[in-house]
Amino acid sequence: MGAVTRWFAPELPEARIAVLRSVIAIFVLLDVHLMVTDPPSLSLHPDLYRPLTVAGWLHLPAPSPALAWALYAVIWVSALLGIANRLPRLAGWTLAAAFTWWLTIGFSYGKVDHDHLALVVAVWLLPTVGPAAGRWRSSTTSVAAGWVLRCIQIAVVSTYVLSALNKIRNGDWSYRTWPESAILTWAIVRRPHQLGLWLLPHPELLRGMQWLSIIAETCSPVILWLRGRALLAAAVFWLGFHAFTFALLGIHFLPTVVCWLAFAPLERLAPWWRGRRLRRRALRRGTAEPNPVEVPVGGAARMGP
Amino acid sequence: MTTRPIRRSGVAWRVAVSVVVVVLLVNGTLRMTDAAWPFGPMSQYAFAPAPDSEVAITRVEGRLADGRRIDLELNPWSSGIRRADVEAQIPQIEARPELLRAVQQGWARRHPTEPPLTELWLCQEWHRLSDRTWQPVRTVTLASWKVDR
Repeated sequence: MGAVTRWFAPELPEARIAVLRSVIAIFVLLDVHLMVTDPPSLSLHPDLYRPLTVAGWLHLPAPSPALAWALYAVIWVSALLGIANRLPRLAGWTLAAAFTWWLTIGFSYGKVDHDHLALVVAVWLLPTVGPAAGRWRSSTTSVAAGWVLRCIQIAVVSTYVLSALNKIRNGDWSYRTWPESAILTWAIVRRPHQLGLWLLPHPELLRGMQWLSIIAETCSPVILWLRGRALLAAAVFWLGFHAFTFALLGIHFLPTVVCWLAFAPLERLAPWWRGRRLRRRALRRGTAEPNPVEVPVGGAARMGP
Repeated sequence: MTTRPIRRSGVAWRVAVSVVVVVLLVNGTLRMTDAAWPFGPMSQYAFAPAPDSEVAITRVEGRLADGRRIDLELNPWSSGIRRADVEAQIPQIEARPELLRAVQQGWARRHPTEPPLTELWLCQEWHRLSDRTWQPVRTVTLASWKVDR
């Protein structure tokens, strides 16, 4: 395989896919209850329906409460199978189709949420790996797993870097227009939260934050080449960024945040948990061994690809 | 650790899919609008208001049968519709104020113990950003609708 191919499709543990599949399925359930919650109520108002292009291409029927509740039921069943890593292809693609349709309805009444890109990529691509033998405890690595993780990572980074590109586009192709604007003041006035109201009298500080934000977004593709502590530092920075914008404006970007897990060595979870249980059992019996279970090394213990 | 093998064709289509999706996303960012989701632009807060521009905050107010005029919060939990969804439909609501029925019905369903709504107003509060600080200026009514029974 060439270097480009290896970059797009590195060999990574399938255990990471199995854990991510469970977490993403749980998150989809949270999403339909806490984030994009409105398809059943919006579909009561056909007068307000403004279908996305994709709905036209796929000849999706106009939303109705019956359709929205049917999708809700399908999402629940397929997500529960996904959490348990059962029928990964059938349940996975059913979840992907039902959840994407749900979002398409939710975004067809005027407001589109831009934080769902990586999550949609994750639900569609996780099923391509198929069953991971041993699920969370899988000891198999594969290029199929690596490709899915790489694509979710690219989608997370795209959310940032394409946002910077769109700001440049909207600013008449000048890099300075957006960071020199009053966008944060505008946003705080429209979404007043305590931290935002404190910062409102300090426009220079807000402008500095705008510069920091667009520079971080522009540099974000570098994340795809980071490893170990450098990758951890980038993750901490971006999770901190999202925590800050949540405190400032109440905008959480959780669907992107959860996809940061594609960078994390989730395959260590099962061995760590098993080791912890065995150590406790050994302690209770008074025959403690310092480390009864070996944590896999090499490909399994890497952070990032 | 065991490795699951993969065919050359399996790798080839995977790399091709990644490249096509990235191209579609870049195209969406450079040329498309939100209607192209999931291949549309990442346009949230991506525009650049001038430091002396005006900010509009859209609200829907309602008159209850007991005479009170109240703010009908625009979110999924209070009225079943988000403020941004209402804002995207302002020209349509101005042309057909009866579209406010969506807010009236959504709010009434979530507030069963309140008196019924008799009239609704689509309002905008305008604020001027002056040297990036905040000054309320005026409130304008864009549409009003008497609830028909």
